[in-house]
Amino acid sequence: MTPEDLRFLLVGAGLFILGAIGFLTRRNLILMVLSAELMMHGVSMTLVTFGRIHQTQEGQIFTIFTLTVAACEAGLALALVLSLYRKSHSLDINLWSELREPDMPAPVQDAPARIDDGSGSYGDTPKLTPAGIAPKDPPRTKSSAGASSART
Amino acid sequence: MMDWLQAHPMTVVGLVLWAVGVLWLMPGRQAGSTRPKIPGLLFTAAGLFAFCLSCGKPQTQLADEVMFWVFAVSALLCGVLMITAKNPVYAALWFALATLATCGLFLLQSAPFLAAATIIVYAGAVIVTFLFVIMLAQQSGAAGYDQKSGQSVMATISAFVLLGAVAMTLQQEKLEIGVPIVVAKAKGASDEVAPAQPNMSAMMQASGSGAPAGGPTPPPDAPEEKPAVPGNLLSSADPEHAVGDLKGLGRSLFSDYLFAVELAGTLLLVASIGAIALAPRREQGAL
Repeated sequence: MTPEDLRFLLVGAGLFILGAIGFLTRRNLILMVLSAELMMHGVSMTLVTFGRIHQTQEGQIFTIFTLTVAACEAGLALALVLSLYRKSHSLDINLWSELREPDMPAPVQDAPARIDDGSGSYGDTPKLTPAGIAPKDPPRTKSSAGASSART
Repeated sequence: MMDWLQAHPMTVVGLVLWAVGVLWLMPGRQAGSTRPKIPGLLFTAAGLFAFCLSCGKPQTQLADEVMFWVFAVSALLCGVLMITAKNPVYAALWFALATLATCGLFLLQSAPFLAAATIIVYAGAVIVTFLFVIMLAQQSGAAGYDQKSGQSVMATISAFVLLGAVAMTLQQEKLEIGVPIVVAKAKGASDEVAPAQPNMSAMMQASGSGAPAGGPTPPPDAPEEKPAVPGNLLSSADPEHAVGDLKGLGRSLFSDYLFAVELAGTLLLVASIGAIALAPRREQGAL
């Protein structure tokens, strides 16, 4: 490992920890996803440097696959962010602290959460469409559709 | 550890200055409290300068040196400005600049195809999608949650301690990786030299087919001369193609990793279907 490789590795580590700081401190959903992408840049830099140290193509090939996964992740994360924004009309991550495990303590609220519609409940949480083959014997009604499909 | 602290004081000074700059630029706990940005920028720049200066002085050409400094400092500085920006639109634009600087570093590391692909994917697709979502979901005026940051002191200190540990490990270790593998030549070997196995598939093919009995091929337990090229456990270096060569990259991608390429295509299809299914519809209510 030459000093030239060393400094590329250090720059990759610096990008990674900057992304980590952003992910831990910022509370905007979009900024958190962006910080995760910055962490991924650091990992890509490290992989490419490893590939150059070993003089093989694997580092760049792994980075290409990382790029693919990052593109998928960005698309899915932004769809999720839009879906969450439609429910709470805010990008604050603290509004979704109810999604924790029931025995976990509440997170430290360093600022009052702001919900525009004034209600703290999420009435229209997403419902999964019942999947699989519909059972034959009971007549399918709207109320028993979910239960019967869950039984099968 | 104390040896490292005494041997590399510049790294520690750079890390401390950099952390102070990040903390200064970070939005405070109370909304609306604005600090002047100039001292934070000065701290960050000084820390970055000391940090990059402590990375060693390799014997490279002046052009490489200048380009490394420009790209590395701009990548890290744009990263700092990204995570401390109060406006998400500015954060996305700083992220685009950090991406461009990272692509410049890829170019310096002889990865031109990767640099082009990263620019196309990130600057062409990801940033534009982020900006669309920010425009769709942005409230009028600055939102309260963008003006504050939670647990910024703890996060910054622990992250920079982690970076210091990484720097200490990298600067202490004399990792002799990448040096040519020692040629293992056994006594009484025939003068036949096994050809240099260029990649993993050739190695698997050679081990899978086995050596046919008789003929000029050596018996299976005959000592082979290992190729004296650098490599890792998975593959050895390709002597025909340089690292980052587009021809070698494509050949390796579509021969050794063909299954992974097909899998990545399937993953893209599934992710696009999932994104369409997750995204809110218009008839369920406008955004």
